[in-house]
Amino acid sequence: MTPRYTELQLDALRELANIASGNAATSLAQMLGREVHLNVPRVLALPLADAVDACGSPDEATTSVVIPLDGDIDGVVLLLIDPDGAAALCGLLGVEADSEIGESALREIGNILGTSCLNALVSMTGLHMEPCPPHLATDMLGAIVSSLALSQTASTELVLVLDSELAVAGEPCSISFVLLPTAGGVSDLLAPLGFAEAA
Amino acid sequence: MGLVRMGEIKVSKRTGEELVARGLGSCIGLALIDRSSGVAGMAHVVLPESNGSEREPGKFADLAVPALVTQMQQAGAVTRRLEAVLAGGARMFELGEMDIGARNADAVRTGLAQAGLRVRAAATGGNRGRTMRLTVGNFEVTVKEAGGEPVTLYDGGPAARRARQVVRA
Repeated sequence: MTPRYTELQLDALRELANIASGNAATSLAQMLGREVHLNVPRVLALPLADAVDACGSPDEATTSVVIPLDGDIDGVVLLLIDPDGAAALCGLLGVEADSEIGESALREIGNILGTSCLNALVSMTGLHMEPCPPHLATDMLGAIVSSLALSQTASTELVLVLDSELAVAGEPCSISFVLLPTAGGVSDLLAPLGFAEAA
Repeated sequence: MGLVRMGEIKVSKRTGEELVARGLGSCIGLALIDRSSGVAGMAHVVLPESNGSEREPGKFADLAVPALVTQMQQAGAVTRRLEAVLAGGARMFELGEMDIGARNADAVRTGLAQAGLRVRAAATGGNRGRTMRLTVGNFEVTVKEAGGEPVTLYDGGPAARRARQVVRA
């Protein structure tokens, strides 16, 4: 069965993503001491191939921080940063990019953003969720997104992507903040908000 | 340029055309080549088993291999002359219990063996994403890993008659 979402449910998910990424943006601003701009999140419910294309050019080099979720919801929080943006972030934190300490700093940024996003989701839904230790990889965008989605669901039917753009003021740095829940995870997120899936 | 997106199969005999599978992670790019008839094809395989789903055969290794062979035949290729080159099947993240990349590679190899086809060259496994590119006409197949330069995996010429295997653990 392919899960389908109504406009109302997608709106509810967009609002959830908006608040969660807003929380994450606040944490990032505090960490960097810079203003962080946040756009209105995109909520995409697409077949996997289209969802991957919607994230950008499949062979573009991208730095990714993956935070798997543990608890009531299965899924991952994914930060996608272009390599220049990753270097800029490291620069703001006073560490060298492409070094062990730079990688560790990016993981920590992932940790903080993932945790603040989860805090928002937990307080809105009452579900129990915890972040697992982050994974870091700089690789091709399409390879990252498709492999992650497949490792979550092993299905290509319909993938839900909640995507917000965080832009650090005055730096060539924008972070794509993606929540990738499994199909079961989506219904679990919707139910406490009163938008349970129609049977 | 003929982009072969996830789950797609493309066959061409137009000299100079490129078939390209971009950003292969756990997916497999499978190229089949019949140099004598000048036909080449590529599948971008996503999952090992279709589990009965007949839609979108290009997605699943068990359906994609025979589907690509059939389309090659329809374009004038002869099955016993087909040479296979594969790339992808990486494990990008140590997440979950399933190594879908390895299962994809196994399933594609099984399908090729069942069809009696030879694997001439392969770059599978590891933890890096790859882009696979095949040029119709000279039948060169290159693979570029993330952050690397394109490497010729199969040069399409007579030297390609030597069995060549590049397999990453």
